[in-house]
Amino acid sequence: MARPSSGHLVSNAHPLLSVRDLTVHFRLRRGPKSSRTIRAVDGVTFDLAAGETLGIAGESGSGKSTLARALMRIIRPTHGVVTLDNADVTALKGRQLKVFRRRMQMVFQDPYDSLDPRMSVREAIAEALSVSGTPREKHEAAVEGLLARVNLPSSFARRYPGQLSGGQRQRVSIARALAVSPEIIICDEAVAALDVSIRAQVLNLLKDIQRDTGVAYLFISHDLSTLRFMADKVAIMYVGRVVEYGTSEQVFTRPLHPYTKALIAAVPSVTSRGRARLKLSGEPPDPGNPPSGCPFHPRCPDAIDVCRVTRPELAPTPEGQSVACHVVLSRGGLESHEVAP
Amino acid sequence: MSLVDSGPESDAVVVVDSLSVTFPSDAGPDDVVRRVSFSVKEGQRVGLVGESGSGKSLTARAIMQLIPSPGRISAGEIHVTGNVAAHSSSDAARWRGTTVAMITQDPLSSLNPLVRIGVQITEMLRHHLHQSRTEARTRAIELLTAVGIPNPPRSLRQFPSVLSGGMRQRVALAIAISCNPRLLIADEPTTSLDVTIQAQVLDLLEKMSAEHHSAVLLISHDLGVVANFCEEVLVMYAGRIVESGPTDELLENPQHPYTAALLSSVPSMTEDLPERLTSIAGSPPVGGVNIRGCPFAPRCALAQPQCLDTEPELRELGTPARRVACHAAGDPRWPGRPQGTS
Amino acid sequence: MMNLPEGALGFELVAAEPTVLNLPNFWHRAGKSLRHDPVALVSVAFIVLLVVVAVFAPWISPYNPVRQFPNGLTPVGAPVGPSSHFLLGTDSAGRDVLSRLIYGARVSLLVGVVATSLASAIGVLVGAVAGYAGGIIESVLMRLTDMVLSFPILLFSIALIAVTGPSTRNVVLVIAFAYWTYLARVVRGQVLSLKEREFVTAARTLGVGHSRVISKHILPHLMPTIIVYGTLGIATSILLEASLSFLGIGVPLPQASWGEMISEGQQYFQSAPWLLIAPGVALIATVLAFNLAGDWLTDVLDPATRQGR
Repeated sequence: MARPSSGHLVSNAHPLLSVRDLTVHFRLRRGPKSSRTIRAVDGVTFDLAAGETLGIAGESGSGKSTLARALMRIIRPTHGVVTLDNADVTALKGRQLKVFRRRMQMVFQDPYDSLDPRMSVREAIAEALSVSGTPREKHEAAVEGLLARVNLPSSFARRYPGQLSGGQRQRVSIARALAVSPEIIICDEAVAALDVSIRAQVLNLLKDIQRDTGVAYLFISHDLSTLRFMADKVAIMYVGRVVEYGTSEQVFTRPLHPYTKALIAAVPSVTSRGRARLKLSGEPPDPGNPPSGCPFHPRCPDAIDVCRVTRPELAPTPEGQSVACHVVLSRGGLESHEVAP
Repeated sequence: MSLVDSGPESDAVVVVDSLSVTFPSDAGPDDVVRRVSFSVKEGQRVGLVGESGSGKSLTARAIMQLIPSPGRISAGEIHVTGNVAAHSSSDAARWRGTTVAMITQDPLSSLNPLVRIGVQITEMLRHHLHQSRTEARTRAIELLTAVGIPNPPRSLRQFPSVLSGGMRQRVALAIAISCNPRLLIADEPTTSLDVTIQAQVLDLLEKMSAEHHSAVLLISHDLGVVANFCEEVLVMYAGRIVESGPTDELLENPQHPYTAALLSSVPSMTEDLPERLTSIAGSPPVGGVNIRGCPFAPRCALAQPQCLDTEPELRELGTPARRVACHAAGDPRWPGRPQGTS
Repeated sequence: MMNLPEGALGFELVAAEPTVLNLPNFWHRAGKSLRHDPVALVSVAFIVLLVVVAVFAPWISPYNPVRQFPNGLTPVGAPVGPSSHFLLGTDSAGRDVLSRLIYGARVSLLVGVVATSLASAIGVLVGAVAGYAGGIIESVLMRLTDMVLSFPILLFSIALIAVTGPSTRNVVLVIAFAYWTYLARVVRGQVLSLKEREFVTAARTLGVGHSRVISKHILPHLMPTIIVYGTLGIATSILLEASLSFLGIGVPLPQASWGEMISEGQQYFQSAPWLLIAPGVALIATVLAFNLAGDWLTDVLDPATRQGR
C-alpha cells in the first residue's frame, strides 16, 4: 500500500522490511475515570532493503527504543502493519512468532545486562543455536565459527561475562544474534555504553559482518556521528514520529527540518569546534502531553501559525528526501541548506 | 617534574603535584592515579579527557578530598589557592563548596531527592556565607533565574525528581556557583543528557563561569565536548597524563599515539568518512598493578622494545604547557612513523 | 593527522588475559571468608558437628534413649544428676539425658531439613509462577499466600495437628505448610525484577520458550536467596518443632525431642535443673548457629549474583 505522502519510502521494488504507520500507545490509568495516553510511537513508516543500514536518530522521548521493541514484538504494537519479505508479521503468535524471531534479532545497549552472568559464552551462543534448530553435535564448531566471526579467540567460549570487557561482551551478543542467521539485526544503542576506542572496533566489525553476510541493520542511536558512519539512510524521530528521512548524505549535509538542523549543530565535534552553533532552547516535550499541531513548534525558530494547529505529515521533496514540516514544504522543499563545515 | 618548582604560581587556583591515588586490592596496592601533575589558573578552562580506567574522575575527587574509601591519596600534594590542601576531609570541608565546587554526571545523586531544591540552595548560602533566611532566598531565586529555571519561586518548593535531567543539572550548577567558587569541577556533567540539552548546559557552564570568574576543570570521555569548551586539554591513560597542551595545538598536532588514535576513531560530522574507522586494538588496562613500561605499548602502533621496558616520563615539548609522555615524541626518525610527520 | 596502522608489535591483544578480574568459585570464596570471620566459622563448625552427631547417633550415643534405667532414679524416684554413668544426668523416667539429647538432635535436624525443603519447594513454585505469569494468576496466588500468611502459625499448627494427630510426619507437613509463604513472597519479588533484566528479554527475542527461560535463566539467579532462606528456615522450623513438642503435640513419646525435654525440664527446674539446661542450651546454640551461618552465606553468595559488575 503506497501512501501518496510516502512516495520516496516505497521506491524499492521489494524492501525486506516494510513498516507502515506503526503505532504504540501506552495507557496509564490515573484513577477510576481518567487515564493518559502516551503516544510513544505515533505512526512511523519506513522501508529497509536487504543488506542496507537504516539509522534511527532521536533523543529521549523520541520513541526510537519503543519502536525497536515493537518491531521485535517485545511490546505489542497498538496498530500499524509490519511486513517482512511481503508477509504480514504484525500479529503473529506462537509457532509463527518463533519462526519470525529467527529472521530479526537484536543487540542491546547494556553490555553488562544483556548476557546472563551465570551462563558461559558457549552456553549463551549454544542456546541461540538450539532455538534455531542446529543439532547438538554441530554446536561446538558453530560456536567456534561465530566467535571467529566476531574476532574473539575460541578460548573465550569457556569464559563467563564477568570475565569479559564491555566491548568483548557486545561481540558475544553480536555472535549470539548471528547464531540464528537473521536477515535483520536491530542495534539498539549497541555501542553507546562502550569506550570510544572500543566503539570503533565494534562498528568496524558490524560493517564487516554486513559485507560478509548481507544482513540489514536497523541502527538506533542518539549519536549522530556514529550514524553518519554506519547508516545508508537516516530517519530522525521526534516525539514518536519521523520528522525527516533520507540518505545519510542528504540528511547530514542538507538537513531540512529545523530539528534536524539543531540536532546536527548541537553535536560537539572536534573538527568543527569553535563554530558558532545555533542553540535549541527548551526541552523535548512529554510524550504523554505533546504540544498541539507540530510537537516541535514551541522550540522551533521558524514556526508559523499553521504549525501550532496542524500536525505536518511526512512528505517527499523533489530530491527524494522526506520531511514533516509546514515551513519547508511551503517553500517547495527547495531549501538547500548546506551545513557550514 | 614538579610544577611548584617553577616559581610562585600566584594565579593558579589549584596545583596538583605528583598526585597518586591507591586502592588496596587482592593482588596488592592498585595505583589508579599515578604521579599526575597539572595546574589550573584563574578563570582558565581545562579539560581532562580519558576513557574508563584512566583515573580522571578520581583525580577530580582527589582535589575535592572525596576519594571513596578504601582508596586514598598515596603520594603527591594538592595546593588549593596557594595553601596545601590537607589530606583530612574535615579540613577540606572548609573550602569545599566555597573555593572548589563540583557537579557530577548524575544530578539525582548529588541532589538529595528528599529535600526541596530551595532548601538545598539556601543551605549552602546560609552555612558558608552566613546569609540570613531572606537574603538566601532572594539569592537562590537570582541563581535559579540565572541558570534558566522557569518560575524560580515555584521551583524552590519542588523536589529534584520532578525536574528533567537538564533542569537538574542547572540546579546543581546553581548550587555549585552559589558561593562563587574559584574552581568549578564538572565531572561528565552532560554525559547522560540529550545532545541538544547538552549544548544548553555547556553554554550555561561557560556563561556562569565567566560571570563568576571561576576556573573550570571539565572531565569527559568526549573529545568533542572538551574541544569546544576548553582552552587546555589533558589526556589521561592508565592513571597518567600522557599528553597536555592548548586545545587547538593538541588537536591539530597530537604527539601521543593514543591521542591521535582517539581523535581518528570518532567519525567526523563534516569530513569524508573512511570505510573503516581507525580503532585501537585491545582495551584500556584496569588497575596499575602490573604496569611495566608504557601502559599503552601493547596497543600502540609505534611501540618499540624500549617502550615495554621503561615508562616514558611526561616531558615538555617546547613550552611548559605542552607536554607528552612518549618515547617517540619529537623524534622524526622513530621507526614506524609515517613519512613526513614528527 | 597521524594515520596509524593497528598494533605494531604483533601482540595477541585479544587473547591477553582479561582485564576484568577473574572470579574465584564459591568454595574458594567461602573458605577465604570463613578464615576471616570467626563467628561464622564457629557456626558452620557447629552445624557440621550437629549433622555428624545426628547421623552417627546410634554409634555416638552412650545408651538407648528410651531405655529406663533402674539406677537412673534415686530411691525416691527423682532424676539422677550428672555423674560418671550418666554424663548429663537422667530424666523423670530414668532415661539418659545425653542419649536423648543426641537422638533429639536427629529429630530436630530431620524435621527442620525436611520441612524446610518441602516449604521451599512449594514457596519457589508458587512465587516463581506468580512473578513470571503476572495478571490474574499472580493475583490469585498472592492472595492465597497472604491468607495463609495471616494465620498465627502456632495456633494454626496446633489446630492442624489436633485434626491430623501427632506424628513426626504430620509435624513436618504442618511446619512446611506454615512456612512456604515467606519464600513465595520473596521469590515473587525477585522474579518480577529478574523478568525485566535485559538477558531475559534477549532470551525471549531469541525465541526461547517460557519454561526454558524460567529454568535456565531465572531459577539459577534465585538459588542464593533460596539457600539463605533455607538456612534460616531450618532454624525456625527447629524452633517450631520444639514448640509443638513442648506443648505435647509434636513428635510423640517415647521418642526424644528437645522440645519435649524442655517441657519436662521446666517442671523439674527446681530439683533437677539439668533437665532444662541441657536441651535449652542445645536448642539455643543450634538456632543461633543456623541464623549466623545464614547471615554469613548471604555475604558470601551476594557477589555471585552480581558477577557482571
